[in-house]
Amino acid sequence: MREAIEIALGGILQGSVFALVALGFALVFRVTGAINLAQGAFVVFGALTLYSFQNGFGYGAFHVPPLPLPIAFIASLLVSLLVGLLLGKFIFQPALRKLPLGGMVLLTGGLLTFFEGVMLLVWGSQPYQLQPWSGFAPVNINGIHIPTQGFWDFGVTAIIIVGMWYVLQKTTIGKALRACSENPAAAALMGIDVPRMTVLSFSVAAAIGCVSGMVIGPVVSLEFDGGGFFTSSGFISVAIGGFGSFVGALIGGLSLGTIEQLAAGYVSSLFSTTLALGLLLVVLIWKPTGLLGSGSQRRVDVRDASVHAYREALRLSRKGAIIGGIVALVVLAVLPFFLNTGGILSSIVITGILFFAILGLDILMGYGGQVSLGHAAFLAVGAYSAAIMTTRYGQAPIVGILVGLVVALACATVVSFVTVKLRGHYMALATLAFGLLVDSVAVGATGLSGGPSGIAGIPHFSMFGYTFDTQVANYYLVWGLVVIGVIVLSCLVRSNFGRALRAIRTDQTAARALGINVPRYKLMAFLISAGFASVAGSLYAYYFQFISPEMVSTQRSFEMVTMLVVGGETTLVGPVIGAVILTLLPTVFQPLANFKTLAEGLILVGALLYLPSGIFGGILAAMKKKGDRPVQTPPVQIESTPVREGVVR
Amino acid sequence: MSVALQGRNLDKWFGGLHAIRDISFSIQEGSLIGLIGPNGAGKSTLFNMFTNLYPPDKGTVEFFGTNLAGKTDIEIAELGLIRTFQTARVFAEMTVLENIMAGSHLSVHSNPWAQAFWLPGVRREEAGIRKKAEALLGVLGLERYRDESATNLPMGSQKLLELARAVMAGPRVLLLDEPAAGLNDSETAELARLITAVRYAGTTIVVVEHNMSLIMGIAEHVLVLDAGRLIAEGPPKEIQANEKVIEAYVGRGLDTVLAEAH
Repeated sequence: MREAIEIALGGILQGSVFALVALGFALVFRVTGAINLAQGAFVVFGALTLYSFQNGFGYGAFHVPPLPLPIAFIASLLVSLLVGLLLGKFIFQPALRKLPLGGMVLLTGGLLTFFEGVMLLVWGSQPYQLQPWSGFAPVNINGIHIPTQGFWDFGVTAIIIVGMWYVLQKTTIGKALRACSENPAAAALMGIDVPRMTVLSFSVAAAIGCVSGMVIGPVVSLEFDGGGFFTSSGFISVAIGGFGSFVGALIGGLSLGTIEQLAAGYVSSLFSTTLALGLLLVVLIWKPTGLLGSGSQRRVDVRDASVHAYREALRLSRKGAIIGGIVALVVLAVLPFFLNTGGILSSIVITGILFFAILGLDILMGYGGQVSLGHAAFLAVGAYSAAIMTTRYGQAPIVGILVGLVVALACATVVSFVTVKLRGHYMALATLAFGLLVDSVAVGATGLSGGPSGIAGIPHFSMFGYTFDTQVANYYLVWGLVVIGVIVLSCLVRSNFGRALRAIRTDQTAARALGINVPRYKLMAFLISAGFASVAGSLYAYYFQFISPEMVSTQRSFEMVTMLVVGGETTLVGPVIGAVILTLLPTVFQPLANFKTLAEGLILVGALLYLPSGIFGGILAAMKKKGDRPVQTPPVQIESTPVREGVVR
Repeated sequence: MSVALQGRNLDKWFGGLHAIRDISFSIQEGSLIGLIGPNGAGKSTLFNMFTNLYPPDKGTVEFFGTNLAGKTDIEIAELGLIRTFQTARVFAEMTVLENIMAGSHLSVHSNPWAQAFWLPGVRREEAGIRKKAEALLGVLGLERYRDESATNLPMGSQKLLELARAVMAGPRVLLLDEPAAGLNDSETAELARLITAVRYAGTTIVVVEHNMSLIMGIAEHVLVLDAGRLIAEGPPKEIQANEKVIEAYVGRGLDTVLAEAH
């Protein structure tokens, strides 16, 4: 019993951080309608900043001596507020005006990656643990040991919650914030500076995240990439508790922490993660507004359709496509003769594998307008199926690919039960949860997946007695499949299927009114994307002859999305540019490897803000502008012409 | 001639508001029906009840004898009842031609597998759709916008485009929700021409409209709603002289309304 109470107390301790992250989510969500995936990064940022102020740091002549806790705390708080203000003012707020809510999830995901990259550069990859604020000796109550930091934690959480409640309910600023959350347009007409309120809510949420990191820092160890964990936990809390409800966020966070710790303590940590993510999926299916969800939900549909600018419909001309296609084929055919120097050719093979997966992702995201942040999960399914089938059961590699395909399609069908009902950011979060779930299974189910160390000794792909055991052979295998994939999918998207998907992307109601079966097309797009990713995953495993969880982690999902967005959505071939940039550049310029995470985040954010059609889309737009001759407007006929029968049938 | 659309004792409440009160009507196949009434009369509500956007609280809507109760908007479209929207809902990120081609969705028989391999059947089908879409583009005089994103079109052209897309679906009954709203005079003339052409090609059409001269010019039968009740129906000439209708329009003579509208 004593043990159970101590575990539960640890859970509440952890849960209070989740609750504060969830509170930040709820605040930003209520004021802007967007979900800020970078929220969790502030927890880590706060803790690491406090560590630096407590232990002193310096750069060249500039040096800060170790500061006592209270001063270090205030300094960290100020730094985090400043960072929040800057990010809010120069990235988050401008983005809100340009992007739909689904795009905002991508943007804040990019922000999270960017943050992790910065923290990796500043603090390195080792874990940090802070000094407890009032000594190590736990307090003993009836034989139950409570770490003193726990009291700090509860106290700070309580102060923040009471403070938030007071500000929102009793002050003018609070009233303005609530007005923004009810109806931003009406609030703006009443003279409320909505952009300022947006920045304010974003930076306050950031500061809350940082403070929660500072108080939890002495209890758990934190490292640069821990933000994703807090984001997903905070999100699960807010999903359980109900979007935009502050009380719900608190209850959701505390109960999630407790459930997780008890499950981890008595069963296993894998079970605990699976339980939490499974819980999230169930809530998303059953009651997307959250278990304690309030009735005052924002009208997501309206905002989604009206706020952002539409992209131009861009298409390569027929002549351009034929010439480009032939040039590409010739270049692909002869490339190995010029680049047969180890590292680079290998990177080109990897580029091809990822591009193959992104082809499918473009069908889902570019054409179908659905956001997937967990697509690496399907890579993982393909890769692990291939690995397990060949190494454990001695099957031929092609069997591994087929088994992966079947499992991936089955998973996709199940996940789409959740996602066909959801749009925009809910869809993004459901797929993110699925990705994390697969992630945790890959790490935790050691018997099946080999755990963190993965599975080695996977054979090369072979078929009809030929083994693809050289880089050149793999090059032609992978890029051959890519060429086939591009041809098949481009036929598909230029026909009725593609039109139906793009119709759904822009206006579901109008699409339904034309008889387009929206759920069926969404499912088909999801299945196609899952299938392509799964095959890519199998190829990945066969090429490396090794697979480990970090090769197909959520980080990889974001990377694929970045490649897609940077290259150009809805262009099929454009993302190859993104894949080349993000795969080849770090190989060619080794010193850049350290900056990879940072650059990925930065590139994603930059592309979303300044190049919404991607690099390829930008090229197409430039070509279109150049080719446009001034159109002669024909004189408008006003007299009514006789009805021309037979034209319309 | 069979009955295309039949309403029986339709009733709809919004909370305490009795929006539609015991309305029955029947629309003959091949006819062009105008649905008019002052603001708040219940026109749009009745319209949305046809496609189950607002399921009726009482009564039924039958489409060529098929009861529409419980059917989704997709199933209703599949039956051949196609509607447009009050504010044009074009597919903004597709070109004008692609928008019209998207309307053909229900007439496409090839499956995605065949489409992925661009089989001869698909090729023929696509060529047919393209030809038809380009013909429609010509009728509307929108050729010069062919490869322009639909979102770049002026509002009036977007409404025409939406209508063309609906026509492309090959509807048995076409429901037009204020097609002339936001159109200038020459565009309205274009619209009238297109609607009449579609009608002569054999499609039954129901038009909700505020533009009296348009309705009176093209409709052969007019239904008049006021305060949720069907107060009159008949040919335009009769309706224009109907006392109840004149009274419904704030007691003013319909001639005055007509003069204002034009």
